[in-house]
Amino acid sequence: MSDFSMLDYGLGILQALLLIVLSPLIVGMMRKIKAKSQKRIGSGIFQPYYDIVKLLRKEEIVSDQSSWIFRATPWVNFVTTASAAFFIPVFLVYSPFGVVGDILLVVGLFALGRFFTMLAGLDTASSFGGLGSSREMMVSVLVEPALFMTIFVIASFYGGTNISTIVSSANDTSILIVPGILFALIAFFIIMMAETGKIPFDNPSTHLELTMIHEATMLEYSGKSLALMEWSHAIKQMILFTLFVDIFLPWNFAEQISLIGISFGIMLFIVKVSTLASFIAFIETRVAKWRLFRVSDLIAMAISSSMIGVIFFFL
Amino acid sequence: MSHKEIIRKYYSKLGKFDSDIKKIENNNELHLVLNDPNKLHDFCKFLKQDFDLRLLTIICCDERKLNHGFKIRHVFGSDADDFFLFVTIFIDESHPHFPSLYDVFPSSILYEREINDMFGLIAKGNPNIKPLILHDFPNNVFPLRKDFNLNDDVKRNLKQFEFTPITGEGVCEIPVGPIHAGIIEPGHFRFSVLGETIINLETRLGYTHKGIEKLAESMSINDVVFLSERISGDESIANSVAFCQAIEKIAKLTISQKAKQIRLLFAELERIYNHFGTLGGILADVGFPYGASRLNILKEQIMQLNERLSGSRILFGVNQIGGVKISITDEMLIDIHFVLDDAFQIFEKIFDHLKSNPSVMDRLRNTGIIEKQLARDRGLVGISSRCIGIETDARQTHPYGYYPSINLKQKTLRETMEHQVELQKRIGDVLSRFMSRVDDLRQSKAIIDSITTLKDDGLSMSMNDELIPYSSGLGYAESHRGETLHWVMIGEDNSIFRYKIRTASFSNWPVIEHAVLNNIVADFPVINKSFDFSYSGNDL
Repeated sequence: MSDFSMLDYGLGILQALLLIVLSPLIVGMMRKIKAKSQKRIGSGIFQPYYDIVKLLRKEEIVSDQSSWIFRATPWVNFVTTASAAFFIPVFLVYSPFGVVGDILLVVGLFALGRFFTMLAGLDTASSFGGLGSSREMMVSVLVEPALFMTIFVIASFYGGTNISTIVSSANDTSILIVPGILFALIAFFIIMMAETGKIPFDNPSTHLELTMIHEATMLEYSGKSLALMEWSHAIKQMILFTLFVDIFLPWNFAEQISLIGISFGIMLFIVKVSTLASFIAFIETRVAKWRLFRVSDLIAMAISSSMIGVIFFFL
Repeated sequence: MSHKEIIRKYYSKLGKFDSDIKKIENNNELHLVLNDPNKLHDFCKFLKQDFDLRLLTIICCDERKLNHGFKIRHVFGSDADDFFLFVTIFIDESHPHFPSLYDVFPSSILYEREINDMFGLIAKGNPNIKPLILHDFPNNVFPLRKDFNLNDDVKRNLKQFEFTPITGEGVCEIPVGPIHAGIIEPGHFRFSVLGETIINLETRLGYTHKGIEKLAESMSINDVVFLSERISGDESIANSVAFCQAIEKIAKLTISQKAKQIRLLFAELERIYNHFGTLGGILADVGFPYGASRLNILKEQIMQLNERLSGSRILFGVNQIGGVKISITDEMLIDIHFVLDDAFQIFEKIFDHLKSNPSVMDRLRNTGIIEKQLARDRGLVGISSRCIGIETDARQTHPYGYYPSINLKQKTLRETMEHQVELQKRIGDVLSRFMSRVDDLRQSKAIIDSITTLKDDGLSMSMNDELIPYSSGLGYAESHRGETLHWVMIGEDNSIFRYKIRTASFSNWPVIEHAVLNNIVADFPVINKSFDFSYSGNDL
C-alpha cells in the first residue's frame, strides 16, 4: 500500500486541515440557525473563530489544587481529535493515512480524549466537575456498545473497518437503500447526537451547572486551554458529521486526482455537511432536553436499530 | 355578611376561652389578647380544630417604650371568610421566651426563627432554632429592637453555618451557590446526593438582607411607599398596594374608584408579565429555548406596555397613599386591550404547541411533587398551593380594591366541569404549577377585559394630617407569587413604629427542600423555577 505519491500525502494533509479549520464554522452556523429559530439575530457564523482567537490571548487561571492531568487534558484532546482527522476522507475517496489505522482507531482516539476530560473534571475537585464526569461516563458507557455494533454492521456490508475501504465501496454501490445500512444510519445518527452533546442528550448552551454533562467537566478551564477544549470539541463534531456523510451519502468523491474533481468534491462536501448540520440544528429546536435517565432509552433505540442491521446482513 | 357579622360569628364561638381574652375590633381584624402566654398553645390548637384557620404570620413588636414589653401577634386567616384573627401575647424582657407552635402549625418554625434573629426572643420547644437571615450578626445584637440604632456599626462575626450532616455510604455533598451562573439572586443550596438522587437539601438564604423593616422606621410614610416597591422588584405593585392599603385602613380613607381601577390594572399587568417570564424560564430550564424565547418576547411586549403607561418597565412609582400617581386615559386602556389581545393570541398558539410536544411535557410531569398535607402544614400560598388544589387567593378570600366590583363572565356548566376535571390532574408537580400559571394568566386577562370604562372621580385623596399613634392595620394583596401581607403600626408624628412584611416568598421558600427530594440533581433548576420565589422578597 505504499504506492501513494507525495501528492497523495499532500492532499491527505489538506483533507485533515480542512476538517480542523472548518470545524468552528459549522459550530457558528448551527448557532446561527438556532438563534434564528428563537427569533434572535444571533452572533455571526465566524464568531467561534473570534472566540478562539480571543481565548488564546487571554490569561489562563489554573486551580492550584489540580495536577498535571488538568493541564495536559486540553492538549490530549486537541491532539487526539486532530490526529483522528487524518483518517477521514473528505473529498478524495480515500485517505492516504488510512493504512495506519481504521475506524476503530478513530473511536479509540475519541475515547482517550474523553477519558482525560473526565479525569480533568474530577481533578479540580469542584462539585460540578465530578457531577459532569459521572454523567459523561454514564453516557459513554451506553454509547460505546451501540457505536461498535453500528460499526460492525457497516464493516460487514462494506467489507472492512478501514475507512477508505468503507467509503470506496459505499461510493461504488449504486443502490444505497439496503435495509441493513438504513438501520445503521438511524443508529449512527443517534450516536452522533449523543457524542456531540446535542439537545435531547445535553444542552451545550445552558448556564445551569446542575444540568450540564459535557460542559460541567470543562467549567474550570480558561484562556488557551478553554480555546483548545472548545476547538477539539468542534473538530470531533466535524469528524462525526463527515463520517456520517462519507458512509451514508457517499456520492461524487474524486477517485482520481484532478483539479475539477477535487474542487467539485470540496464543494459537495461543504454542501452535504452543512445540510446535515442544519438538519441537526432544526431537530435541536423542536425537542426539549430529555430527562437525564431517559437518555438510555434513546441509546437503547440505537443499539436495537443496529442489531436489526446485523440481522438484515445475515438474512 | 358584613365584617361586623363575621367577627361576631367568630367571637361568639370563642366562649370557652372568654375568661382571659380581651377583644379589639378593627375592620375585618379581630384582636384577642391572651393574658397568659402559656395558654397560647391550647388556644391555637382549638383555633385549628374548630375554625380551620391558617397561620399567616407571627409579628413581634418591641413595645417596651409603651410599658408592654414585647408583643407577639399571631395572625390567623380563614379561607372561607374575609377575616383575620390576631392573637396577642406579652413577653417580658426579663424572661425572653414564648411558646412555640411548631406542633400545631409547622409553618411557625420559620417565623419563630425570624423573631429569634431579629428580637432575641426564644421560642420554647422549637426544634430548629438556627439563624434564618442574620448569619453573621453577634449573638447579642437584635436589629429590630428599639434600642438598636440604624446607624450602629455591627461587628460582623463570620460563623460557619451548620448544615445538618447527612452521612452514609456513597452520600456526597454538593454545595451550590451563593453565586450562581447567570443573572439570578444569591442563595446557597447544600445538596446531599446518592448518585444523582437528592436525598436532602438545605437552603441558606439571607444574602440580600437589606434591613427594610428597620429602615422603614426611620422614614416618612410617603417615602416608605417607594421602599415597599423595592422589596422585590418584580412585585412592586403588589407590595406597594398592600402597604398603601394598610395605611389607608388605619387612616379610614376610602380611595376613589378610578384609583382602585388603576391599581387593579397595573397589578394584573404585573402578574401577566411575570407569569410569561416564569413560564419562559421553565422552558429554558428544560432545554427548550424555542418556546422560552417566544414567551420572553411576550414578556417584553408587556414590559414595554408598562413603560408606555407608567414610565417604568417594572411599574415603579405608580402608587401613593390615598390613590395613584399615574392616570390611565381611555386611549391607554385601548392600548392595553390591544396589546393583551395580541399577546394572548400568540400565547395560546405557543401553549397548544407545548401541550403537543411530548419531550417538554415529559420533563414537567411528575417532577418536583409536593403533597397536599405538606402544603397545608407549611402554609403555602399562591401558585405553590394552587398547584395541589388548595385555593388560596387573596383576591377572592379577602377581596380588596376594585376586585369585589369585577363581574367575570359566568362559566357554563360544561366549562366548570371541565375545569374541575382539569383540577383533579393537579398533583403538585412542575406541570401542575405550569398549568396553574396558565390559568392565572387567563384569569388576569379576563379581569382586565372586564374593565371597559374608567370611572371619573379623581386619582388621589389627601390623608388626614395626623394618624392616631400606635394604631395598626393589616394590608394585603395577591402578588404573582401569592398572598402578601404588610402590617403597619403607626408611631408618634405619623412615623412608622413597626412595619412587618410577609411576602409569599417568605412563607413558601422552605417547600423547595421537600419538593426536590427523590428527584435528580439535573432537575433542580426546573423545580426551583417552577416555584419562582424571590430571594430579595424573602431576605427583606
